[in-house]
Amino acid sequence: MTAALIEISSPKGAPYEFLVVFAVLLLGPVVFRRAGIPGIIGLLVGGYAIGPHGLSLIGAGNNTLPDLGQLGLLYLMFAAGVEIDLNLLMRYRRSAITFGLLTFILPFALGALVGFALGWEAPAALLLGSLLASHTLITYPAIKEAGLAADPAVATAVGSTVLTDTLALVVLAVVAGSVGGHKSSANVAVQIVVGMGVLTAFSLYALPKLAGWAFRFLGTERSVRYIVAITAFLSAATVAELFGIEGIVGAFFAGLGMNRLVPNEGQLMDRIEFFGGAVFIPVFLVSVGLILNPSVMVKGETLGLAGLFILACLGGKQLAALISARLFGFSRAQSGLLFSLSAAQAAATLAATVIGFQLGLFSSAVVNAVLVLILVSVLASTIAGTRAAARAAMPDGPRPLGKRVVVGVLDPEHALGALTIARRIARADGGVVHPLLVVPESAPFAPKPALQRLSEVVAAADVDGQVMTIVDRSVLHGALRVGRAQEATLVLVAEPGPEPAGEQPWEADGAQGGAAGGDGGRAPRPVAPGASSGRDEAPAPPVALVRGNATRLGAVRVRLDDEELAPDSLAAELARRVSSGAAQRLEQDHTDWAELLAPGDVTFVSSELGETLAKLPGAGEGLVVSTVAEWLIREESAGDEDAPDTPGDVRAV
Amino acid sequence: MLARPLVLCLLAAAATFSACAKAGNGAAGTFTPRTKDTLTVATAQIPDPGFWYGTFAHPTGGFEYGLARALAKRFGLKRIKVVQVPFHELVRGHLGGADLALSDITITDERAEHLDFSTSYLEAPPAIVVHPGTEVADVKAARDLRWVVQHDTTLKEALEEQIEPRTKPLVFERQSEKLAAFEDGRAEAMLLDLPIALAYARESPRKFAVAAQLPSEAELGVALPSGSDNVEAVDSAIRSLQAEDEIDRLARRWLHANIEEGSAEDIPVLRTDE
Repeated sequence: MTAALIEISSPKGAPYEFLVVFAVLLLGPVVFRRAGIPGIIGLLVGGYAIGPHGLSLIGAGNNTLPDLGQLGLLYLMFAAGVEIDLNLLMRYRRSAITFGLLTFILPFALGALVGFALGWEAPAALLLGSLLASHTLITYPAIKEAGLAADPAVATAVGSTVLTDTLALVVLAVVAGSVGGHKSSANVAVQIVVGMGVLTAFSLYALPKLAGWAFRFLGTERSVRYIVAITAFLSAATVAELFGIEGIVGAFFAGLGMNRLVPNEGQLMDRIEFFGGAVFIPVFLVSVGLILNPSVMVKGETLGLAGLFILACLGGKQLAALISARLFGFSRAQSGLLFSLSAAQAAATLAATVIGFQLGLFSSAVVNAVLVLILVSVLASTIAGTRAAARAAMPDGPRPLGKRVVVGVLDPEHALGALTIARRIARADGGVVHPLLVVPESAPFAPKPALQRLSEVVAAADVDGQVMTIVDRSVLHGALRVGRAQEATLVLVAEPGPEPAGEQPWEADGAQGGAAGGDGGRAPRPVAPGASSGRDEAPAPPVALVRGNATRLGAVRVRLDDEELAPDSLAAELARRVSSGAAQRLEQDHTDWAELLAPGDVTFVSSELGETLAKLPGAGEGLVVSTVAEWLIREESAGDEDAPDTPGDVRAV
Repeated sequence: MLARPLVLCLLAAAATFSACAKAGNGAAGTFTPRTKDTLTVATAQIPDPGFWYGTFAHPTGGFEYGLARALAKRFGLKRIKVVQVPFHELVRGHLGGADLALSDITITDERAEHLDFSTSYLEAPPAIVVHPGTEVADVKAARDLRWVVQHDTTLKEALEEQIEPRTKPLVFERQSEKLAAFEDGRAEAMLLDLPIALAYARESPRKFAVAAQLPSEAELGVALPSGSDNVEAVDSAIRSLQAEDEIDRLARRWLHANIEEGSAEDIPVLRTDE
């Protein structure tokens, strides 16, 4: 009777398969991390457990998980490209390029040698070399956490990643192109060269422009920005495949192209990392685990191959680290950091291995041997990183000026200029911009419409940052408070439009004068980057005032005296970043001030001169950046003594 | 300082290398034929429309024959020898001394207990074949038909589990007997793998019509003797032929050419979960 009423069948279908996969995503990393083993291994082993070689919960004929894994693979390579700190590559280009070449060439040569010595065909041997030559910065978060992100050796290894991964993927493109179809070598070469040219132009030139346009005109919603990023790498992967180049090469190039548009600490990167880390990349790893076969893995042949791969890969990486350390005078600990950061094999290695398997170049024995290599390399790099980080000396020096820029805004309609300047400064340092709406304490003000408007202006300025709000007595004071709380490296204040008469609404209540207050008798001085308060408290971020509302930056000029232009002065530092070092210096007796305010032109001046310029006809068309008078900051900070909720005094030197 | 670790590494590399070199395994696996320079292939029936043409002694074409040739070329083998083995013997792991079997064999867990399978080379859901003019609007209409089916096939399971005919189907050991029962009118419908069904309908449109396909993830694979050392090599070869579009080319030539008047996507899928 009951049997007739209730019919329970064995679980099957898409919901059940997804349940099984997500159970692995949930439990795999947790269980393995508790055992002190990296979570990535938990996902691979979990994939094996549910796969055809394990419990067979996901059968051999299942296409859903491998298809999802394919998307995860593209995502993984896009994330690898977008996360790379191009700024570090530029700053340490000599050591990064040298180390990048060494840490690619040595394992590549050793890997290819192993392949040839085993009698493999050239494509398989070269692909083996390339997959051993790439690396994934698995230990970087831990080393960054240890405060060593600014160490020259760490910066060198991080910067070199773009080179090793690009070269590895170029080899993959050549190998994959040469094994398919019935074309002559010349045809294959032409196709790959043309394809790589088109892909590079599309990914590094067209894609950032298209994505930037989309961010500005479509991107006020977070989900839209995220979809733009997904569309970007899928389009680059499609372009790559049009030329017979593997899609992962396109996805990686798309990441490089979008790198400047997606700052590492920005909202979009946060979302990319979240969805990538939570779903797409783990699903790829689980799909790789389906191939994992312990009966193959424990075979003497597989373990022998794994041993050779480990020797070639880790030996080559260690050799590259030792040679580079000697060349650039790095300490032993720094050499350890170089090895730790470059030894871990994961993303690009796994991607190239899976492609080699799909192309029929590699048997499952090779795949399983590479999985052993990944496990050993991750463990070795983690141990080496921990030891080296404990021995390495903490690097000194301030964080780059554009690492985290807070832009204080009172009136969203006058925020565009400051946001544009902030974006330029932050991009130069691979940093992020935090727009801040300051709502006056006294004003009858509804923040929601203003916040909405500011979000639109932020999108129009192509800035990817979390818009924040604070209620405060003045925009300067509010921006300073948030700047300190956010550990900002720079605070920019967008000056509201000129008021018809009377008190400027952005000035502090009760403050005598202001940056635009016109007390010319007290000559203000720029605040140097990282200037300290003079006490033992955290240093106050440097502050600058931006007048004007231009969206595009034109000629950059400075009108500062020698003292203000000292290398460590804020104005000089800002001018260098905005102009890429090509700012035109105006003579003291320059009289054609109207020219300084041509639309889009940026002029760096001291505070009192900014006030003079602001009064000229046409003011507002150009951008005038002036450092905020230190006495104004002092006045603002003095008010904090009456305000117990403030984070502390803000005092300038 | 580096001398000792370097020497140790070199020694370890030499030992590991010699072990791997003795195994003599290429990156994609190594194929060792039972007869020198010859790929011996087992199949149940020749001719088999779309898949095998000619005779056992002189096969002349077909999708699976083309696949056998491509595999032989990849393994550097000069000759192909085809041996006949009944289908029910093949799926029980008896390959008649052949290196591998290419005989429309669907990959299943049950068969994998007796055979090793390569990765799949063709999707093959079950298709309902009827006499031209017979309508099969839904699964209820399908149940009312008189069916014929071959013993020891996945199609028999599909018929019993998905269609559940009202009258007991005719069951035969051989495909030829099944076809005869269908052609002389003893049966009104039969299940065939879709690519084969489409090939029959193309070659004899007055005798065969494909009414529908059943929802399935069935795929055909190369079968090898259980525990064969050649599985890795065959598996890699199939993936390689897929990557090089060789399998697509063969399918276009021998199967898609047969199905140009109605591609697999045009055949309606019969819902059987009602």
